[in-house]
Amino acid sequence: MLNYLIRRLATMSVTMLVISAVVFIIIQLPPGDYLTTYIEELKAQGEIVDSKKVEFLRSQYGLDKPMSEQYFVWVTGMLQGDFGYSFEFNLPVSDVVGDRLWLSMVLNFATIIFVYLVAFPIGVYSATHQYSWADHGLTFLGFLGLATPNFLLALILLYFSNVYFGTSIGGLMEPEFIDQPWTVAKMQSVLAHLWVPVVVIGTSGTAGMIRRLRANLLDELQKQYVVTGRAKGLSEGRLLVKYPMRMALNPFIADIGSLLPQVISGSVIVSAVMSLPTTGPMLLSALQSQDMYLAGSFLMFLAMLTVVGMFVSDVLLAVLDPRIRLDGGVRK
Amino acid sequence: MRVGIKTKCFAFVLGVGILLASPPKTYAQLLTPIEPTVFTQQVSTGALPPVSERIPAEPSIVQVKEPGRYGGSLRMLMGRAKDIRMMIVYGYARLVGYDTSYKLVPDILKSVEESEGRIFTLTLRKGHKWSDGRSFTTEDFRYFWEDVATGKVVSPYGPPKAMLVDGKPPVFELIDDVTVRYTWHKPNPFFLPALAAASPLFIFRPAHYMKNFHARYVAKAELDEKAKAARKRNWRALHFSVDRQYRNDNPDLPTLQPWINTTRPPSERFVFKRNPYYHRIDQLGRQLPYIDEAVINIASAKLIPAKTGSGEADIQARSLQFKNYTFLKRGEKRNGFTVHRWLTAKGAQMALYPNLNASDPEWRKIIRNADFRRALSMSINRYEINEVVFFGLGIEGNNTVLPESPLFDPSYQKRWTSYDLKKANALLDKIGLTKRDDQGVRLLPDGRPMEIVVETAGEDSDQADVLQLLADSWRQVGLKLFTKPTRREVLRRRTIAGATIMSVWFGMENGVPTELSSPEELAPTSDSQFQWPKWGLRFQAGGKGGEPVDMAPARRLAELNANWVVAKDAEARTKIWKEMLEIHADQMFTIGLIAGVPQPVVVSNALRNVPERGVYNWDPGAHFGIYRPDTFWFDRP
Repeated sequence: MLNYLIRRLATMSVTMLVISAVVFIIIQLPPGDYLTTYIEELKAQGEIVDSKKVEFLRSQYGLDKPMSEQYFVWVTGMLQGDFGYSFEFNLPVSDVVGDRLWLSMVLNFATIIFVYLVAFPIGVYSATHQYSWADHGLTFLGFLGLATPNFLLALILLYFSNVYFGTSIGGLMEPEFIDQPWTVAKMQSVLAHLWVPVVVIGTSGTAGMIRRLRANLLDELQKQYVVTGRAKGLSEGRLLVKYPMRMALNPFIADIGSLLPQVISGSVIVSAVMSLPTTGPMLLSALQSQDMYLAGSFLMFLAMLTVVGMFVSDVLLAVLDPRIRLDGGVRK
Repeated sequence: MRVGIKTKCFAFVLGVGILLASPPKTYAQLLTPIEPTVFTQQVSTGALPPVSERIPAEPSIVQVKEPGRYGGSLRMLMGRAKDIRMMIVYGYARLVGYDTSYKLVPDILKSVEESEGRIFTLTLRKGHKWSDGRSFTTEDFRYFWEDVATGKVVSPYGPPKAMLVDGKPPVFELIDDVTVRYTWHKPNPFFLPALAAASPLFIFRPAHYMKNFHARYVAKAELDEKAKAARKRNWRALHFSVDRQYRNDNPDLPTLQPWINTTRPPSERFVFKRNPYYHRIDQLGRQLPYIDEAVINIASAKLIPAKTGSGEADIQARSLQFKNYTFLKRGEKRNGFTVHRWLTAKGAQMALYPNLNASDPEWRKIIRNADFRRALSMSINRYEINEVVFFGLGIEGNNTVLPESPLFDPSYQKRWTSYDLKKANALLDKIGLTKRDDQGVRLLPDGRPMEIVVETAGEDSDQADVLQLLADSWRQVGLKLFTKPTRREVLRRRTIAGATIMSVWFGMENGVPTELSSPEELAPTSDSQFQWPKWGLRFQAGGKGGEPVDMAPARRLAELNANWVVAKDAEARTKIWKEMLEIHADQMFTIGLIAGVPQPVVVSNALRNVPERGVYNWDPGAHFGIYRPDTFWFDRP
């Protein structure tokens, strides 16, 4: 097990390194750099920008150095916890990000919990009552959830939650709580706003999860050990919980890895639509203005979540399911 | 958005030696200033001096239509944190500012004396104070001129352009505590309008504050320490970063505006508190502003109409588009606001800008052919666009002056705009674009299909709808149109680089000029002109950068623009304007689509003194600025 953990951690760090290089290259791919955008703005304010001044600024920002050197500076900085400087905000990246990071974590974890809570009972029910009306109805709902575009659902829910519950549109809290210290009222406000993005981001994940759980459980329900259990007189409920359901649980855990990136990339778009104070909208704007260190840090953070999610799900699977062996299995 | 070089004004008359001055002094002395209620506590404990000591000895007395009550919080929505600069625009405290009939009147200044159009004597109000209570004097002007504008380290590139005539700076004279004089060797018609602009030219700085960051006043070691603590590269960068009056992002920077920013970015919510030392009082002696605080909430621009419609703003026009009108109207009753329709003064709501400086040689050649541009215009079904997108409320025609302008002529608006596919096809055939591919798309001489990529700033979704309509009708003359949304900065950058073939943007900023407004928008004068950015850049940078104008009609425009600056009388100026408009109508340098689309303005029913029918314009106008938001008030118990 220990060997396995070490191996996994090593691959993870290599993966992260590769991701960092890819991220850096992709951010730099569009023509121009942040400075071109910035000079644009100076010009918009009526300043004449001299080519000498441009060169001066470029050297000040370190943008005149070769890309490999810029990359190296960035990566070594990150290892020491320095994520660089946001050109756009004129502040260190860590100051800019502030609350956003953990608000997006709250959002994403809330979404995952929502997915589990909703998907599990529905999945089990529709498997045990296959082809019943309820199964058909829930399946139909599930497909609707898979098919509805997130942003559309977001707008509709926003509108109705405003009309019927009076919650302000967009954001994660009522405007008067922004930048205020945390209080019970503020928490309530956050909760009142959180459900819309959670439902929106969660729907497609939930629908997918229901389908998988149903299929898995259906497979198990046909197996002989179930028949044996039933023959030996186990009650239906006990039989279900004790044997096939445990088998069907695997996707729940294995999905942590694939659910995380799905939820996170979904949340970027939904957050931008709903203007949530999470990392999503800021990532988008940073990418657009080529504020490379800010965008890079966000992307690295997202990549990190994904890689860690995969790791956690693998380890959990290994711990929970004795059938999975880690060290053997490699055939020469 | 540039300071200075745009002198767009509806009617401002500034003859030689005209004195602009406040009402007589005796009037001011009759009034007893009234303390804003929110300060009574602080004044009684002595934390703040009483109002009579805070306002200038000679305050600006304002005749308010409906004198109001104190209190309330004015909520607004903005798309980006950077937009807190709009508080400088809306606050509209200027040295001189436009009144609602677009005449320049002194505001922060007590008076301005102008002689020969080149000597400007500015007189401050005695006892005027910054928002931190320190005196606002001519020292603040000196600091700007000597230590900032002409300071070698802070501005190695010289003073702002509106302060240069033929590249020469003025002579700056400090006469006494309240009087300064700027003398140019030639008339400078751009100076006062630059001071009154929506994004104004600041020719003063809070010297007492800024000196803390200037190497001339602080020991080098101490300054380096400060720069390091602020994580700035050097003191110059530090000075620059705390000094942005227009950006409004430094809560410590003293101001003269009615509301002071109290929130340090980054944030999603910015609170602006009233300035206790503001210089304007109403006719009853109440110190303005009436409203105690303004709050700007940042939300994605796309959500702003929805938020406004649910009553989350007390006054809002920014990020609202005409197509939101019906939705907003529906929210009126439920949320207690009214949607007004204000006039917009742009020459066109939307215009196409073929890039005459495109770097692709084939395209550049074709775009520079006037017949090609005419054919493009004639294959646009403007009637359809108006009916489909603007409920038929717009004006179909070119990007030119509006009928409200005395310079208007119907032929400027209608030439080459009739929807006539036959004629357009004939024009395109005439210029040799006769080859077509198997789908009927015309081919460039080098064999590429004529696919015109129209780039947009991606801010206005109406543009996408209109371009979609356009694509259908252009297809019928054998041209393919693709829309490419980018961002404003990216679009500008690409256009200047020549990568953009065509872009879509607003039309002329000022659609209702008189002969006294500068016609520079019609000539290559700025690199933000999408039809000829490189020529504009050449002019703007004073002969460096960009490219020289190498097209006769455009050269003529540049010449006429230069003539206007030195023109002697109204007749000569009118003639210049007319010729320039004529050239534009004939050459179709920009292809206007639709004009005169009203701007929805959402105003809370409790908010008083907001005009029902106003003009929503950037400069002159500063959006709400000339209607003076400091006189708005909430009629709520």
